[in-house]
Amino acid sequence: MSARIMVIDDEKIVGDMAKISLEEEGYEVETFLNADPALKRLHETVFDVVVTDLKMKGIDGLEVLRTVKQTHPDTKVIMITAFADLDVAIEAIKGDVFDFFPKPVRIKDLKESISKALAEES
Amino acid sequence: MLSLVGRHTGRRESASVDVRSAFAAYKKIMDDNSRALEIITDMGETMSGGYLFDIVYLRKAYSDLAVSMRVCLKDFNQLTAGRYPGLASAFEEIDERIDGLVSGTVRPLERLTVRLGDITPPMAREVGGKSFHLAEIKNSLGLAVPDGFALTIFAFEEFIRHNRLGEAIASLESDGDEPGRRRGLREQILAGGFPPSLEKDLAGSLEWLRGRCGDCRLAVRSSAEEEDGIFSFAGQFETVLNVPAEAGAVEDAYRRVVASLFSEEAMAYQRRLGYHPGSLRMAVGCVAMVDAAVSGVAYTADPLGGDRGVMVINSSWGLGKSVVEGAVDADRFVVEKTPPYQVTERVLGRKETMTAPMTEAGVQEVETAGDRRHASSLAPKELEEIVRQALAIEAYYKRPQDIEWAVDGNGRVVILQARPLRMKETAPAENKAAAAGRPVLMRNKGSVVQPGAVGGRVFFASSPEALDEFPRDAILVARHDSPQYVRVMPYASAIITDAGNTTSHMASISREFRVPTVVNTGVATSVLKPGAEITLQAGEDGGMTVYEGIAREIIDEQHDTFLKLEELYEFRRRKYVMTYITPLNLVNPFTDDFAPENCRTIHDILRFIHEKSMRELIEASRHTERGSSLKRLDIPFMDTIHVIDIGAGLAAGAGGVITVEQVVSVPFKAILEGMSFPGAWRKGGVPISLSDFFTASMRTGSLLEDIDMNLAVISHFYMNLAVRFGYHYTVVDCFASQRAASNHIYFRFLGGAADLSKRLRRIEMLEIILDHLGFASRAKGDLITATITNISQEEAVRILDQSGRLMAFTRQLDAMLTSDSAVKEYARKFIEGEYELFG
Repeated sequence: MSARIMVIDDEKIVGDMAKISLEEEGYEVETFLNADPALKRLHETVFDVVVTDLKMKGIDGLEVLRTVKQTHPDTKVIMITAFADLDVAIEAIKGDVFDFFPKPVRIKDLKESISKALAEES
Repeated sequence: MLSLVGRHTGRRESASVDVRSAFAAYKKIMDDNSRALEIITDMGETMSGGYLFDIVYLRKAYSDLAVSMRVCLKDFNQLTAGRYPGLASAFEEIDERIDGLVSGTVRPLERLTVRLGDITPPMAREVGGKSFHLAEIKNSLGLAVPDGFALTIFAFEEFIRHNRLGEAIASLESDGDEPGRRRGLREQILAGGFPPSLEKDLAGSLEWLRGRCGDCRLAVRSSAEEEDGIFSFAGQFETVLNVPAEAGAVEDAYRRVVASLFSEEAMAYQRRLGYHPGSLRMAVGCVAMVDAAVSGVAYTADPLGGDRGVMVINSSWGLGKSVVEGAVDADRFVVEKTPPYQVTERVLGRKETMTAPMTEAGVQEVETAGDRRHASSLAPKELEEIVRQALAIEAYYKRPQDIEWAVDGNGRVVILQARPLRMKETAPAENKAAAAGRPVLMRNKGSVVQPGAVGGRVFFASSPEALDEFPRDAILVARHDSPQYVRVMPYASAIITDAGNTTSHMASISREFRVPTVVNTGVATSVLKPGAEITLQAGEDGGMTVYEGIAREIIDEQHDTFLKLEELYEFRRRKYVMTYITPLNLVNPFTDDFAPENCRTIHDILRFIHEKSMRELIEASRHTERGSSLKRLDIPFMDTIHVIDIGAGLAAGAGGVITVEQVVSVPFKAILEGMSFPGAWRKGGVPISLSDFFTASMRTGSLLEDIDMNLAVISHFYMNLAVRFGYHYTVVDCFASQRAASNHIYFRFLGGAADLSKRLRRIEMLEIILDHLGFASRAKGDLITATITNISQEEAVRILDQSGRLMAFTRQLDAMLTSDSAVKEYARKFIEGEYELFG
């Protein structure tokens, strides 16, 4: 079965581009424009990797990270953000984020990170 | 050209001061210029499809670019004493367009109508996809299309405003079930009045069209934004045929087409594609009806079977409507896409009915005369002509096309419409396996300028004249890159060169035309044979392979991946910004076109500024110090260096042509010694191909001498040297006086590979060496800058000597950095003084 990836970003184009690129790798990809429905979806299905934007209206990426780690400790979280904010990055790393990318994110790097995350999982 | 000095002072005694201030301004402009180019490089890379980026990035990047452009223009204006006021207005115009795209607002009023022949690429959005493609086919490919004009999206906005429909459109809900409101809107459009400005422009255009085609009838067709782009909108909007070329009739047809934007089907289709209701604007095309004896459709690939080696043509008598709508059992031809265009399948349809124009207006279905039903609607010659034209269109758009055509009463083929053909997807895994067995001619040589996978016959460009013979779809193979090749870009499948760099003008044009291009392979002209069929696969990751023969499986695979990303409307919309930034239209500074008013992109403006600033400086120096401060210095292995001495840089009595011995400028002398250090260039045992390589680059160098001139501005302790060294642009700026505290060396190296692997290698190697020499370096894209300050004169001289050797060494190494392991090895060799790499 192919790995399931969730992408959360409040800009549609980011999710769309990620979906197209990651589907090329054979992953199943679901995208969300904000964290609320994404977290609901996480209650229904297990995802192998969650790629989330850090700064979003409402629930932000750090909260997504905390929730995921509480409910699905095996799910890896990759954080992306428009602002390469070091302090936040440090906090995210403390919170057991698998990887952290400032935007613009090189898709090749994201793919590599995901495949590493999956390798670690298995 | 008036010199700065002559204009301002007219006094010789202050001349050297003036050349100094001109130089200071020149230097500042070059800094501004490279900052802007750096941002453009970054934007191009980020929006290439290889990155996830958001609107914040785009806004920030463009705002940085606009700021540096304004600074650059201000400095340029100062240097040229305000002699090019048109340049600032050109920038403001471009800026306004980009700003509109970035912030999502387009300025309210532009041309309401525009003739097909006057449509240029920046107008693509204004006239809609359908009219734009038709204009490109006419203007760029020179194929016959009907006479006509477009009513732009500004006409649409004007019409909507005049009838106060903006609010009704804006309030359409994205998921609302509101057929009543949409119906109401359509009725209001159909009853809408024409704004006087639009009425006037339309009348003028119709008068012009009647002058062209007499008492002709028109086809009034939708040409919405985005239509016939990635999404075809096929059949979603109305087309009104056989409309008399009179204002009243055309206005009625226009209303019908505009109303169809809000039809139930069209709205549903837009929703499915993710358009917000009411966000799409409708441009409309008005073209003369072709008195068609035969019409039909050509698919440049088999859309169902997926075979891209054949073309499928459906044809029937009369107007094309019945074929397009599939209403008639048409003739079907399957034709091979390579000469002699063999027909592999020929099925004659029954063709019981045909579409014919009615006397008053409109069209009707009529019965086909009995004897014509079973006859082939196309003669072999006509079929071949259609195939040739369809191939040209496919080659231009780089993907399979769905083309509507007609043959008129005189047997002339006329193209009515072209749009991308949607293909069934292929299975990439299998294809890779198939490619595995193919003989490989070249692998991972050179730098990828534009990725892609294409096949074609090798054509050697031995001279510019040879391009006259360039066959369509051939792969251009040349010793070096040249902007001359822009001539064949629309027809070339790919370009592969021995030498060249990814930031050249040709490279920028290759990207613009999306022609897969690899430069600097070192060996293309010796490995590839003229006339041989090959397939080039140039990857996003910078890797490349040339296979023997046409590897369809590889070519087909890439089309599909490419399409997928481009299907994102938002992605395209954002990337569209780059059409006002990167393309280079000002190629040749020796033509009248090289003028501010022809600057259509930011790149054009930068190009103009660079060229004119350099000339300004040279002119300033020519007219100073008794008119003779511009000297020429010839050293082996490179083009003439033009030298401007702003104070005691040359021995007294040096003439117009100087020798290295006459140079007394401390830094210039030091770097010249390094650059001409024999070992750093080459020693015995150089392979023949390499010396050919040098010869080739020398030739190009002199060809472009006046465009990219080598220039050194010197004084006794100072030097600013800008050289095109091989295919890299290097700037070294140094002050080397007795006071260590005021000394510095700045080293800038631009050029070479755009693909990551090669770039990293070169960066890595240069960084190792520059660090070793004591520089602090920073790399970005193709650009490496390194600085060192507070050094004694002796130290500066030593480092400059090494820098000169490094420039020569890197030049020599260019074609050889083919593996990661080579990087450290070559860096070590250089540091240890083992310059000899061949032999």
